[in-house]
Amino acid sequence: MKPVRPPYAARRTATLVGLVAGFAVVLIRLLNLQVLQAAELTQRADRQHWKSVSLEGPRGTIYDRNGKVLAINVEVPSAFGVPAALEDLRGAARRLAPVLNVRQMELEKKLRQDRSFVWLARKLDPEQGRRLKALSLEGVGVVMEGRRFYPKGPLLSHVLGFAGMDGEGLEGIERRYDRYLHGDKQVMMLERDALGRTVFPRGLREQGPDGGRHVVLTIDEVVQYIAEKELEEAVTSTRAKGGTAIVMDPHSGAVLGMAVNPRFDPNIVKSLTPDRWRNRAIADVFEPGSTMKMFIAAAALEEQLITPTTMLYGENGHMTVANTVIHDHEKMGWMSFSEVIQKSSNIGAAKVAMRLGERRTYDYLRRFGFGERTDVDLPGEVAGLLKSPREWGRRTLASMAMGQEIGVTGLQMASAVSAIANGGVLMKPYVVAEVRDAKGRVLAEMGPQQRRQVISQETARTLSEMLEKVVANGTGTKAAVSGIRVAGKTGTAQKIDPRTGAYSSTLVVGSFVGFLPADDPKIVIAVMVDEPQVDAWGGAVAAPAFRRIAEQVLPYLGVTPNSAVNLAMAVE
Amino acid sequence: MRPLLILGVLLFLLGYVWERVDVVRVGYRVEQLKGQKVLLERERDELSVKLASLSAPDRVARLAKEKLGMMPAQPGQVVVVYRAEPKPQPEHPSVQEVRVAKREVR
Repeated sequence: MKPVRPPYAARRTATLVGLVAGFAVVLIRLLNLQVLQAAELTQRADRQHWKSVSLEGPRGTIYDRNGKVLAINVEVPSAFGVPAALEDLRGAARRLAPVLNVRQMELEKKLRQDRSFVWLARKLDPEQGRRLKALSLEGVGVVMEGRRFYPKGPLLSHVLGFAGMDGEGLEGIERRYDRYLHGDKQVMMLERDALGRTVFPRGLREQGPDGGRHVVLTIDEVVQYIAEKELEEAVTSTRAKGGTAIVMDPHSGAVLGMAVNPRFDPNIVKSLTPDRWRNRAIADVFEPGSTMKMFIAAAALEEQLITPTTMLYGENGHMTVANTVIHDHEKMGWMSFSEVIQKSSNIGAAKVAMRLGERRTYDYLRRFGFGERTDVDLPGEVAGLLKSPREWGRRTLASMAMGQEIGVTGLQMASAVSAIANGGVLMKPYVVAEVRDAKGRVLAEMGPQQRRQVISQETARTLSEMLEKVVANGTGTKAAVSGIRVAGKTGTAQKIDPRTGAYSSTLVVGSFVGFLPADDPKIVIAVMVDEPQVDAWGGAVAAPAFRRIAEQVLPYLGVTPNSAVNLAMAVE
Repeated sequence: MRPLLILGVLLFLLGYVWERVDVVRVGYRVEQLKGQKVLLERERDELSVKLASLSAPDRVARLAKEKLGMMPAQPGQVVVVYRAEPKPQPEHPSVQEVRVAKREVR
């Protein structure tokens, strides 16, 4: 008997096989997804769900000594393009060009690049950002970036320096203190929903990266403004090539003002050459001329080789040294050492240097800080030029006494004169007073630092009295300030003519360096005017600028002239 | 017993889901406030820049001269008058110090 097959048996079998096969396929797929490709797919899911964002805290602010903002970061828009998302590339470039102030051709070139992201223009004005957003162009976007801004324009530009497009310090304080100023970098994980919106940072305690630390300078913006204004006046009125002016506290070495002319605006450095932003007060060396006589005098007084009343013969204005002739600007006979300084006699100074001898002259000049960096906290400082006595010629000693064959920076000169003003101590000059965190807590404090005692207090006092006579009756009368005792020295140094290689009779550096009040010095001022075309004498070009700076800075600092009267007397 | 257990589990699940939803809701709110904070900080910085630019010494000096007709006091025009005598000149001027123009003293 033929077995009877149950009805639909074949169908049941087929269904069963189909189901088993189907489940097997699903199982194999599941195995493939969950086991074999598990790692890669988990990663892909995480990438879609979690977004990592690299963030950098804003750069710290630079303040003057009174908390006035000198450099600050602001968020400004930057425009980018996604070339693949642009349909009408030429049309987009045409519409973007007037908003971004970039030529249409240039924009087209950028947008034709085979890249997924291109910068179109960075660090724009907020208004440009608003106009760009109003265009609503597909494939063009705006992101906010930190831009360094110097709200005072050219004020203090040579000291502040500037930061680059990516926020890195490139010059000046911005460069020297970049490790404090730049913000911290941090990668944050953000959870995104299906629409790509940020849901929540992973972990509630996660904060954004810390901003940079703030730097507080010793510079006072008002003193700086006065120094820059008066230096500009001196340079313009004498049709000079440029100049520098430094205002310092002689007791601490704190720099209150450091002006360099010509100035530049650190907000627009793109079109300028490095020559324009070089801080000439620390990076340029010049022969100081007669201001060097102060230090020869200090050495001779300290060594007790001479007193202010010691008489010296002026050789009627001509003296032969090593087959060359040293001149004075007027014929002088017998004169006291005090008069040598007062009238700035080259012959008298050379004779004193000869008494000192090469070794001692060199040692004292080194002790005053010449030929070595002052170690001011600014980049680009040079050591100047002070040759070892082994390299000196037969005339070098006499030349040095009148400030030739030696190269100094403006800051070295101000620092050395500070040592005379403060009783003989060479201080380390500095421009940064404090570094603070975002909450204003002081992280580092830079106080005064003594380098060495150069001369005794008594020598400093004697020399100070001699220098007062320079201003009262000597070559520096134009530096006199009414009601205030001023001590200082003029200097007129011939420059080497690059065409002839010899000292030029027309190219000079006119300078005046001094301190006041002489009996209780509060500030040292050094003014150097480079290549003045009119009245090319230190006493004529630099001394008036010194006076004008002093007349404005002293009252501002609360130093009043001796003519102050008592109320009781005034009432009478 | 069993219905209570099922109810408890359901309540727990409900509470868990509600808590998750609330966390996400608060998250969106926090993000919104963060955005607001960024905008306010940006505005503060822009105002700081504006203040610093407007108070620049050369601008103040120019306005004082051109708009208000002011000029720096010349040497001798300022006489400092002290209250007591003899009194050493203070290092920093005290609040009692009075400054009078020379002409007014006459």
